[in-house]
Amino acid sequence: MARTKGYPEALEKKLHEQRFFREDSNPEFSKKVKTLSRTIPHMCYQCGTCTGSCPSAPRSTYRIRKFMRRVVLGLENEALTDPDLWLCTTCYSCSDRCPRDILPTDVIMTMRNLAFQRDIIPVNFLKTVTAIYASGHGVPNNDVNRAARERLGLTRDPPTTHMYPEYMPAIRKIIDHYKLKANADRIIKEREG
Amino acid sequence: MAEKKSTTKKTESKKDTKKVAPVKQEVKKQAAAPAAKPKAEEAPAKSPIDNLAKAEDARIGVFICHCGTNIAGSMDIEAVQEAAKTFPHVAYVDNYKYMCSMPGQTVIHKAIKDHKLTGVVVAACTPRLHEPTFRTATKDGGLNPFRFEMANIRDQNSWVHMHDREGSTDKAKDAIRIAVAKAALLQDLHPKAVPVEKAAMVVGAGVAGMQAALDLAAAGIKTYLIEKDMSIGGRMSQLDKTFPTLDCSQCILTPKMVDVGRSPNIELMTWSEVHEVEGYIGNFDVTIRKKARGVMTPKEAEAKGIVGGGCNGCGDCEGVCPVIKPNEFEIGMKPRKAIYVNHPQVVPLIYTIDFTSCVKCGLCVTACGPEKRAIDLEMKDEFVKVKVGTAILATGYDIFPIENKQEWGYKRYENVISSLEFERLICASGPTGGHLVRPSDGETPKRVGFVLCAGSRDNTGTGKPYCSRFCCMYSLKHAHQIIEKIPGCVPYIFYMDIRSFGKMYEEFYYRIQDEGAKFIRGRVANIIEDKATKNLHVMADDTLLDRPIDMEVDMVVLAAAIQPAADTNRTRKLFGVSCSSDGWLLEAHPKLNPCGTTTAGVFLAGVCQGPKDIPDTVASAEGAASAASIPIHMGEVELEPYFASCIPEKCAGCGMCVNLCPYSALSLVEKDGRTVMQVTEAKCKGCGTCGGFCPGGAIWMNHFTTPQIVAQIDAFLLGGEQ
Ligand SMILES: Cc1cc2nc3c(=O)[nH]c(=O)nc-3n(C[C@H](O)[C@H](O)[C@H](O)COP(=O)(O)OP(=O)(O)OC[C@H]3O[C@@H](n4cnc5c(N)ncnc54)[C@H](O)[C@@H]3O)c2cc1C
Ligand code: SF4
Ligand code: SF4
Ligand code: SF4
Ligand code: SF4
Repeated sequence: MARTKGYPEALEKKLHEQRFFREDSNPEFSKKVKTLSRTIPHMCYQCGTCTGSCPSAPRSTYRIRKFMRRVVLGLENEALTDPDLWLCTTCYSCSDRCPRDILPTDVIMTMRNLAFQRDIIPVNFLKTVTAIYASGHGVPNNDVNRAARERLGLTRDPPTTHMYPEYMPAIRKIIDHYKLKANADRIIKEREG
Repeated sequence: MAEKKSTTKKTESKKDTKKVAPVKQEVKKQAAAPAAKPKAEEAPAKSPIDNLAKAEDARIGVFICHCGTNIAGSMDIEAVQEAAKTFPHVAYVDNYKYMCSMPGQTVIHKAIKDHKLTGVVVAACTPRLHEPTFRTATKDGGLNPFRFEMANIRDQNSWVHMHDREGSTDKAKDAIRIAVAKAALLQDLHPKAVPVEKAAMVVGAGVAGMQAALDLAAAGIKTYLIEKDMSIGGRMSQLDKTFPTLDCSQCILTPKMVDVGRSPNIELMTWSEVHEVEGYIGNFDVTIRKKARGVMTPKEAEAKGIVGGGCNGCGDCEGVCPVIKPNEFEIGMKPRKAIYVNHPQVVPLIYTIDFTSCVKCGLCVTACGPEKRAIDLEMKDEFVKVKVGTAILATGYDIFPIENKQEWGYKRYENVISSLEFERLICASGPTGGHLVRPSDGETPKRVGFVLCAGSRDNTGTGKPYCSRFCCMYSLKHAHQIIEKIPGCVPYIFYMDIRSFGKMYEEFYYRIQDEGAKFIRGRVANIIEDKATKNLHVMADDTLLDRPIDMEVDMVVLAAAIQPAADTNRTRKLFGVSCSSDGWLLEAHPKLNPCGTTTAGVFLAGVCQGPKDIPDTVASAEGAASAASIPIHMGEVELEPYFASCIPEKCAGCGMCVNLCPYSALSLVEKDGRTVMQVTEAKCKGCGTCGGFCPGGAIWMNHFTTPQIVAQIDAFLLGGEQ
């Protein structure tokens, strides 16, 4: 936490937001992200190739380079509570091009996992869990798609759980093993009542 | 300090083992002569084991250095000293803050005299750093300099075991025990002096090689300058202007090129390469392949009896040649013929035939005419042998194939060019007469993007991990050139850091920014071509605004990374020079000996050692020339006396060692009616291949003898704790 200087609370808060304080930095966070992501986020030299490559950046306030910076400095709360964390499309363009051979995508995925441990997660991600639990698909097939597939000479449903629903129990077993569905249900209930 | 002859149990056991070591026993029997009285000027013994040192007579002094806190900070010097006193043969032990200092060396001199030492052990840094220092100290104390042995207790001990005081103290004791065991058996050795050929060779005639050759020649040394291309000049002759002073590259280079061509001490061989190297410092025998150039110089013509003939550079041949090829000097942006000079300022001005594309129609032969008769379409490669004392490698660099970084579209998008292409396009003698134009439509660009660190500082495995060191500065220069030549044209420089470290470089950066160049701090992510306009969209992150940008420009210049020149690897191997993992040639020491290599007599100049701009290149060339001239001016060099010797009594004359020696130093000779092996000492590098092999133990590796090595192993294995 930030140093207290005895200023009025509002000013204190404002100052804290403006400056980087050593006390905010959690070196353990940097190490943890490095271990879990199996890449080398501490080697980022802030060249911006990732943000320059990112399809999400010009359409949002999401800046992958900024998240890399937060990992370098161990700014755990700032990274995990920033809603932009969830705007990566996992296209891997940044990972393809990063000259330091870092995999920023995997760093983002790691931070999402760490955020989820603290129940920080947008509801739409949880709804995806529910959808996979129900159908095996994050985005289940729909009639528009079915018609398009037919026009292309494909089966109406793809050869996935849509065609072979008998595999659904196995998928549910995996999800249950990680208590993903239970947690998703709990959080959705807390947020939406 | 206490003097102590050790009589511990360990000594007993050690002596026992010595007796079971058969080689050692044998050698001792033959060591009839008394232990060598250390006298520096003593002549070398006839048989290598005639005047062998006897361990019993040894009196060894041990000197432990603190190296400030480098060593003393990580181990208990007092404990090491106490242990050393108990080792066999140790007659005296001392320690000092800096053994290499004058007072430190005086401690050694004094002890040798006062305690009648026969050998010296210094426990300190590394032989690489201070073996010469302490050998001299040993010599100054009155002993043969090879009566010195070093125990490395810094680089391989205190530095690595900084946090293990007990461990490093124990290790230091072991290292000293081992060194003492060897020191007790050291022999007097006498370096051989060999004469040095009063000639030098420089390989590669870029600005580095030219400068080195000019310096050597000015110092009165005959210099062979070998250039694989048709002309000297290297990359610098492809440049338009040079940062930070902006003088015209050709204008400052041409006088030097002419000097090289004129210097009576320089024998210039263009269109040539090094084929084979034999020998050692002072006496390198180099075979040069003079590639068939199809055209004779006036000198060559005269040698063939064509008086007044040979190429005079008139160019009549070029006009009639029907073959058209891209000119490599202009990076393919201009055509050339099969018989050609690649630019007007070539030195020497002799035409060359590219036999890979020549159709042998003979039109040029007719055009050249019956007087000059310069052209020989049947010319073959020639091999020339020369002898030189020292050699300098100055093979320079190539541009990294930047199309491998596919995201920037080089060779896919017409208007993405490399920095070297930019140099040719902006140069008045270049393919467009100095007009920078878009390759797609010949239009003059109004917005030009510069991509810095293109392929440099890249750890992906596709690019190069190092900084190419001059691309920041030449991109600033390029920005200036377009502002100057094209009114209203704006350069956008995409950079990560501007590295402007040289004299007047930061000032140059200031000036270019003042002139209107726009700097965007962000590495370029990718480039997308507008198929209709052939304009380019440069995608990057303006890291300072924290905003992704899509900048539309007319043209992009990639400041491409550089890499060692194509043939560097083959050439360096011929000279026994190593390279680092990135391919640049390896200097003897990165700070203290940047021009030397680990091969005595071979030096490095210019970019072949690592990226350098012209000022640094010239400085390194002058350094290399100076270093290469020293052995030549000395007239002779001392070879380390670490060569192999034959013990004739033991040699069976089987000759199996002869083929094993990688340096062809061994041969079989008749001696007293027997066939025995003989070593050519000047050729032997002391590698030990033969010594380790000889089934009869007849090969004696001076300074690394079997008894010495066995004693070291014994001291370690049987030493244990006292
Ligand atoms: C686009 C660009 C712009 C630049 N602008 C500037 C500038 O403005 N100012 C500045 O200070 N520096 C500039 N430089 C850097 C400059 O080019 C180098 O510092 C300089 O050319 C290095 O000279 P060199 O002799 O070491 O190497 P090179 O110029 O590469 O010369 C090496 C020579 O050796 C020959 N050779 C190679 N291998 C062999 C072999 N095996 N056998 C025989 N011969 C061989 C080659 O043919 C060549 O002639 C620029 C570089 C580039 C790419
Ligand atoms: S591309 Fe790599 S090095 Fe560059 S800012 Fe992004 S993560 Fe860091
Ligand atoms: S993987 Fe995510 S952060 Fe990386 S470029 Fe794609 S969307 Fe952006
Ligand atoms: S080869 Fe003959 S024609 Fe060609 S430039 Fe030389 S002298 Fe002239
Ligand atoms: S000199 Fe500049 S442009 Fe070239 S690699 Fe180094 S930092 Fe990058």
